[in-house]
Amino acid sequence: MTQSPRNSSAQFIARVALMASLALIFSYVEAIIPYNPGIPGIKLGIANVVTVIALYKFGPKEAVCVSIIRIIIAGLLFNGVFGMLYSLAGAVLSLIGMLLLKKTGLFSVTGVSMAAGVLHNTGQLLVAAALIEDLRIFFYFPVLLFSGIAAGILVGIISQMVLRVLK
Amino acid sequence: MKQYIRKADIILLIVLVIIGLAASAALSFSRTAAGADAKVIIESGGEPYASYSLYEDRTVVVQASDKGAYNTVTISGGKVSVTEASCKNQVCVHHGEISRSGESIVCLPNRMVVRIDAGGSEEGGGYDSVTS
Repeated sequence: MTQSPRNSSAQFIARVALMASLALIFSYVEAIIPYNPGIPGIKLGIANVVTVIALYKFGPKEAVCVSIIRIIIAGLLFNGVFGMLYSLAGAVLSLIGMLLLKKTGLFSVTGVSMAAGVLHNTGQLLVAAALIEDLRIFFYFPVLLFSGIAAGILVGIISQMVLRVLK
Repeated sequence: MKQYIRKADIILLIVLVIIGLAASAALSFSRTAAGADAKVIIESGGEPYASYSLYEDRTVVVQASDKGAYNTVTISGGKVSVTEASCKNQVCVHHGEISRSGESIVCLPNRMVVRIDAGGSEEGGGYDSVTS
């Protein structure tokens, strides 16, 4: 493979667009799978695999762009504007967390992704609390915390497997 | 390539699990059996909407600020449930019944909260005696 200049903006746009569409397909697949764990707000978030890979394979700028683009388009297409608001809050919080944890260099992809899963759910809960103006919704926090851990670990392991192949 | 799990990951996992367990323990302590004067409090759009005794059976239709959006709250035999809702996800309907103080049912699309408050004898009474 010939190496063109890595930071050309055309390459950046192409890369982000490619990954955003991939993430969008994952969002779509997840939206059409009719599974209902009985508890609201719990899902795997398989599209986040793409965000994690973007972060590790390319960098923070790509990860942020892919994540935000995916959420806005997925919000307009399947999740609705409110769903978009929740996702955005979760994404911002989890992106900040991932960047910080990755910077320490202590955590593996799995650990970073686990933290991101938890932060994502926390962000959504904060938006929910702001919308109904009632902090009591935090009774829901433990459920979301544990589901965030589980989903984050799974996403992390999948991402790491893919990253190994990409290397 | 780095390994799948590192020591820091395990520590982070343990910390998170402890936070989760502590939070659920704190929450289960705050939920006590509802007293004799327990109240069902309904809020809509962050504003108080109505409040009823937990022990008087009734059915209330809560109108949300959005036109046509509503939740039907049923109080029956000391238990509260949302039996019908105009929203798409029906999370509040599937939530089931609540009967203990501190528990609540939330409908995010309609921004409605139903919760059970312990009666005045536990918290309100003390508050009054301080102010009066």
